[in-house]
Amino acid sequence: MTHLIIKNGFVYDPLNGINGEKMDIFTSNGRIVEKVAEKEAKVIDASGMIVMPGGVDIHCHIAGAEVNSGRLLRPEDHVKDVEVKTRLTRSGVGYSIPSTFTTGYRYSRMGYTTIMNPSMPPLEARHTHEELDDTPMLDKASYPLLGDWWFVLEHLRDGLLEECAAHVAWIMNATKGYAIKIVNPGGLEAWSSGRNMRDIDDSVPYFNITPREIIRGLCKVNKLLNLPHTIHVHTNNLGKPGNYVTALETMKCVEDLAEGDRPVIHVTHSQFSSYKGSDWRTMSSGAEEVAKYVNHHSHVTLDVGQVIFTDTTTMTADGPFQHRLYLMTGNKWVNHDVETETTAGIVPFRYRRKSAVHATQWSIGLELALLIKDPWKICMTTDHPNGGPFTAYPSIIAWFMSQVARKKTMMKISKRARRNSLLPSIDREYSFYEIATITRAGQAKILGLKQKGHLGVGADADIAIYDVNPEQVDPSRKYKTVRRAFRKAAYTIKGGEVVVKDGQIVKPVYGKTFWLDVKTSLPMEVNDDLKQKFRDYWTIEYENYAIPERFLHASAPISIKAEV
Amino acid sequence: MKNNIIVKVKNACAVGEAKFLNYALHRQTKPLIRKNGELVETSLEEAIQRGAEILANAQYPILYGWSNTSCEAIRVGVELAEEVGGVIDNTSTVCHGPSILSIQDIGISSCTLGQLRHRADLIFYWGSNPWSAHPRHIDRYTTFSEGRFQRSAWRGYLSRLTGTLARKRLGRAIDLVLGRQILSPPETEFRLPPTLFQNKRKMIVVDVRKTRSAEIADYFLQIQPNKDYELLQALRLLIRDEELDVDEVAGIPVEILEEIVDIMIGCKLGILFFGLGLTMSQGKLRNIDAALSLVRDLNQRTKFLIMPMRGHFNVTGANVVFTWQTGYPYAIDFSHGYPRYNPGETSVTDILRRGESDAGLVVASDPVAHFPNAAAQNLVKNPLVVIDPQATPTSIMADVVIPSAFVGIEVEGTAYRMDHVPLPLKKVVEPPETCLSDKEILQRILVEVRRLRSEHN
Amino acid sequence: MLQLLYRLRRRFKKIVITLHPKRLFDIPVDAECINPDMFAEKSADEIASLKVWEGNRQRTLEDLFKIKNETVSSSEELTIRVRGDVSKVRRIGAKMSMGNIIVEGDAGMHLGEEMKGGVITVTGNADSWTGARMKNGTIEIKGDAGDYIGASYRGSTQGMSGGKIIIHGDAGYEVGCFMRKGFIKVCGNVGQFAGIHMRNGTILVQGNSEGRAGAQMVNGKIVVCGYLPSVIPTFTIDVIRPKVKVNGEEVEGPFYQFIGDLADRGDGKLFVSKTKNPHLSMFEEYL
Repeated sequence: MTHLIIKNGFVYDPLNGINGEKMDIFTSNGRIVEKVAEKEAKVIDASGMIVMPGGVDIHCHIAGAEVNSGRLLRPEDHVKDVEVKTRLTRSGVGYSIPSTFTTGYRYSRMGYTTIMNPSMPPLEARHTHEELDDTPMLDKASYPLLGDWWFVLEHLRDGLLEECAAHVAWIMNATKGYAIKIVNPGGLEAWSSGRNMRDIDDSVPYFNITPREIIRGLCKVNKLLNLPHTIHVHTNNLGKPGNYVTALETMKCVEDLAEGDRPVIHVTHSQFSSYKGSDWRTMSSGAEEVAKYVNHHSHVTLDVGQVIFTDTTTMTADGPFQHRLYLMTGNKWVNHDVETETTAGIVPFRYRRKSAVHATQWSIGLELALLIKDPWKICMTTDHPNGGPFTAYPSIIAWFMSQVARKKTMMKISKRARRNSLLPSIDREYSFYEIATITRAGQAKILGLKQKGHLGVGADADIAIYDVNPEQVDPSRKYKTVRRAFRKAAYTIKGGEVVVKDGQIVKPVYGKTFWLDVKTSLPMEVNDDLKQKFRDYWTIEYENYAIPERFLHASAPISIKAEV
Repeated sequence: MKNNIIVKVKNACAVGEAKFLNYALHRQTKPLIRKNGELVETSLEEAIQRGAEILANAQYPILYGWSNTSCEAIRVGVELAEEVGGVIDNTSTVCHGPSILSIQDIGISSCTLGQLRHRADLIFYWGSNPWSAHPRHIDRYTTFSEGRFQRSAWRGYLSRLTGTLARKRLGRAIDLVLGRQILSPPETEFRLPPTLFQNKRKMIVVDVRKTRSAEIADYFLQIQPNKDYELLQALRLLIRDEELDVDEVAGIPVEILEEIVDIMIGCKLGILFFGLGLTMSQGKLRNIDAALSLVRDLNQRTKFLIMPMRGHFNVTGANVVFTWQTGYPYAIDFSHGYPRYNPGETSVTDILRRGESDAGLVVASDPVAHFPNAAAQNLVKNPLVVIDPQATPTSIMADVVIPSAFVGIEVEGTAYRMDHVPLPLKKVVEPPETCLSDKEILQRILVEVRRLRSEHN
Repeated sequence: MLQLLYRLRRRFKKIVITLHPKRLFDIPVDAECINPDMFAEKSADEIASLKVWEGNRQRTLEDLFKIKNETVSSSEELTIRVRGDVSKVRRIGAKMSMGNIIVEGDAGMHLGEEMKGGVITVTGNADSWTGARMKNGTIEIKGDAGDYIGASYRGSTQGMSGGKIIIHGDAGYEVGCFMRKGFIKVCGNVGQFAGIHMRNGTILVQGNSEGRAGAQMVNGKIVVCGYLPSVIPTFTIDVIRPKVKVNGEEVEGPFYQFIGDLADRGDGKLFVSKTKNPHLSMFEEYL
C-alpha cells in the first residue's frame, strides 16, 4: 500500500492548533500516521509551500434533479467552457453548472477533497446518488430536504416529536442522506398553491403550522437523533430587502435549544439573508446586525454565499423565490414541484458591478466574513452556482486576505454601493490559518466529519499543497500570487494517493459517499398502515422508495445511535 | 411466474402487460455476424471483437437508441461514444426533441405526477391521447385519481355517461313508439358544459379530431389542424385581459376562448399535458415554445404546470444521463474530443439523412422501421452493430448482432419516469445464458476498443 | 525610409489564396481556419499545415485542399477563394474580422459564424446557421440558404448583432431568430417563423413568407413584399403605409403595418404587402 511523506512544508492544521509550522506529514494506507520509514515511501518535497488538509465544501449544488435541469437549461453556458478528453480524464463542459466529471476534476485541481450536495428531494434521491457516483476525485454526501415533508409537518403539528424523529431517521437511511435540510420552511408547501411564507410566524396553508415550529421541531429531532451536523437552514424571505430580521428571528428561535457551546443551527448562504431596506431602491447591508448576533451567540454557524460579478445560474429548492427572480429578470425559468416534499427553481442570473444592488450583495458577503470574529463560526462558500461558480474560490480567498484586493474591486463597482459599503472601514485581513479554518477545518467540524479537515493522526489522508511561501509572500500585498496558488494546487492527495500535480489530474479516482445509518431504539414500524399512507401520499410504491446500499458505488455509512 | 416464464401480470397498464407477456416473441439469443452477405451465428467474443473494430475504425460513427435500456447501460454508452469520437443520440431526436429545444429557450414550470394527483383541478391534454398511449395516466395521476386535496372525477364522468346513454335510449324508444324521429335541439358547437364551471376536477382535451380521450373529457376543443401556435399565442394575450383584433382563432370563436381563459385563471392548480400532436404538427418546437410561455405567463395569475407525455420507457432517463455526463440532453457529437450539441446538425436522423456517418451502433431501438427512408437507407449502407433482445427490421440488416437481456424483466436497472422520478427496475426472470445485459456488452466493447486503439498507437 | 516604402508596397499587394477541395466530402469537415485572420502573415507552409477536422480525425489543410498562393497588385486585403463543392465544409469564415472569402460553389453550415468584419460571397448555396451570432461584416449568397440565418445558439438570446446578410435565392425557417441588430435581406422566399423572438434589426423578404412572420418579436422591423398566408392573431393593425424605409432605401408598398407580438409585449413592426395579400383586407375595418 502507498506510504507518503510530505517533507518540510508550512503546515496549517487549525483543528490541531498548527499554525504554519515547518513539519513533515506521514500517510499510510490512506490515513495520516505518526511516522513512516523514508525508504518505503514516496516523498514529496513541499519546501516553500503551504500544506493544508484537503478542502471541504459544506454547500455546493453539484448533483441531482435540480442541478441537472440547470445543465439542460443552459447549453449556451456550456459552449463557453469545454474540457477536452485526455488519456486520464473524461471530457466535459460548463462554466456555472459543469457536467459531473468536470465538476470533480475542477474541485480536485483546487485542492478540494470533500464536498456536500445540499439539496436532495427525497423522492429523487436516487438521481442525486447516480450523479454523485459520476463525480470523481471527491468524497461526498447529500442533505435530504425535509422542512416541508408532509410527515414532518403533520407530526410536528400534532406534537408527535418522537414519531417525527423516527420518520426522519427512516428517510435519512432510505435516501442515504447526511443532514436535515430545511429550505424556506412552509414556503415550499405554500408554493403548491402559488403562495409563500411572510415570516416565521405565518401559517402554512392547510397544515396550520408555522415555520418557527418547523425549525424548532426539526432542531429537537436533530438532537434526539444525535446527527453529526446541525439542521441546515435556508431562511424564509431569502433575497428580500429587509430579510435580515427573518435571519435574526430564525437564529433566535432555537436559542433556548442550545446546550453549552455546541451549535444547533447552521444558516446557509447567509449573505442572501442579510439585507436591510424595504425595497430594491433602499436595499442595504444588514451584515452588521447579523454579525453582531453571531458574535454574541455560540449556537449558530453560517456559510457566506459570496457573490462574484459574473453570469451564473441560480438554483435552489425555494420555488417561490425563484419565481420572483424570474419576474424581476425576465430570464428563462424552470420550476419543479416534487409531490409531498419540496420544490425547485432555476433562473440564469448575471451579477453586475455597476448595479447598486449586486455590488451591495458582493459587499455584504465580505462584510459578514470580516465582521464575524470567530472563523470557526463561518464557512467560505458561494452557494455554487447561485453566487458564482466554485472556481471563483481563489478570488474570494484573495478578498478575505487582502484589503488592497478589496479596494481594487471596490473602485470598479457602483458608486452608491461603494458609498454605503462597510468595507473601507474594515482593515481586518484573514491569515492563512484562518483561511484553513473557513475552507476546511471549520467546515469539517461543523459537519461533524471527524476524519476530515485536519492532519492529525487517524485523519483521512486528504491533503492539499499550495505553491506559495508564507514566509516570503505577504498575502495582503501579493494577493495575486495567493490567488494563483490556490487555483492550481501543487499537489492534491486523496486517500494517500497523489491525484493532482501542478493543477493537472494525474490519477483519476472515485471517492466515497457518506450517509447516516441512524439506529433508533424503536425502529419505525413498516406496517400496512404506513404502506397505505405511502400510496396515498406518493405515486411510487414503498418498496421502490428506499435506496439499497448496493446502489451506491462506494457506500460509507456512518453509524449513529439515536436517543429515541 | 411459472418455470421462469411470465404467465400473468397484475397492476400494470395494457402497454406494460403486453410488454411482460410478449417479450419472448421475436427473441434472439445468438450473437450473429455477417459473412459473405449472410448473418451467421458466432461466438460472443467474435461479435464483440468485430463490433469494436467497426466502431474504433470509424471516422464519424453514430450511437443511437438508448431509450429502452437502463441508465447503467446508458452511462457506459456515453463513455463509448466519447472513446470512439462519435455522435450519441437517443429517440428524443424523433420525438420530444423540439420540446427540449423550447425548454432551453423558455424554461418550464413543471412537477412530479403526485403533485397533480393531489391538487390539479384543471387538466388539459393537448395533442395527446392518453387513453390509448398512456392507459393508466388518467386514473393514476390525473382526472380519475384520488388526491389529498382533489377528488376523482370518475363519478362525474359516470353520471355524464349515464345521462348521455339514457338520452340516446330515450330517443330510440320514442322513435319506436311514435314511428318517427323527434328532433332534439342541435347541440351548439363549442358551447361549454356546466361541469366546467363546477368546483371539482375537470378535463379538457384539445385535438384536431375526437379521440377516445376526448370522449371521456368534460370538454373537447376541436382545433383546426396546424393552428396550435396561433391558438396558444392568442391565449397568452387573453389571459392578460387584453383583446384580440380577430373574431376567431384556429376555427374557434374568441368568446369561447375567453370563457376557457376564465376557467384557466380561476383554477387552483392547472396542468397542460402535451404530446406528439403538438410537437409534430406544423410549427414543431415553436408550438412548444408558445405552450411553455403560456403556462409561464399563467403563473402570474394562478398555479399552472406543464408536462410532455414521453414515449419510450426510459427516454427521460437517456436525457438525464446524457445531460449530467455531457451537459446536453441528446444529439451529442464527441468527434472533436469534447461534447458538442446542435440538433439539426448533430442529430442522428439529420446526419443519416445527409449520408455523413460511416458506421453505426444501435442499442435497443429500431430506426429502420421508424426513421425516414433516406436516413434508414444510409444507416444500413454502412457497417452496423445492433444490440437488442429482439430481432427487428434493424437487426436483420446489421453486420453484427449481439442479443441482450430485457431491462426490467431479465436484468435490473434504473429508469426515469416522464416526470423525472427515478425508479428501480427489477429482475423477475433469468435471461438466457447467451444474453448479457446491455451494460455488460457495452463494457466489453469499450475494453476491446481501448485495446485496439492502444495497439494502433 | 525603407520601412515606409515596404509598407507602401504591401498596401498595393493583394494576396489571393485559392483552395480546391481534393475530393467530395461525405463526413463533415470543420475548417474554422479558412479565414483571412488565420491566413494573414503566414507562410505557405504554415497555411498548409493549419488544422482541420474530418469527422473525428485531425487533418491539415493541405490533406484536404490544393492550395495556391498568388500575389496581385491591388489595394484590397487578403482574399481566400474556395473553388468547388464545399457543402460539407463547416465554419468557413467563422470569427473573421477582415479580408474576403469567395466560395465558388456551395458552402457548408455555420458560414461566417460570429464574424466581426470582412466580406464573404458564395456563388452557390449556403447551409443553415449562416451568419449566426454575426457582429459585423457582409455575407452575400447568390443561391439559396438554409435555416437559422443570423440566429443565436441554442438557449441563448444573443443572435446576430450587426452586419449584413443578403440571400438572392430562398431561405429556410427561423431567419433572424433572436436577432439583435443588423440587416438580413432575402430576395426569394422564406420559411416559417422569420424574425422569431427578434429583439431588433431588420429583415426584408422580397418574396413570400411561409407563415408566422414576426412570431414573438419584441422589436425590430420585418417587411414581406410577397404573400403571407395569415398574420398571427396577437398582432394588431396600425396603419397603411405607401412605402417603407429599409436599410436606407425606400421600398415601394403599399404595406399593411402591424404591431406585435403583443403576447410578448412586443413593439415590433411587421409590414405586409397590401396588393399581394387581398385576404388580409379584413383587417382594414380595424383601422
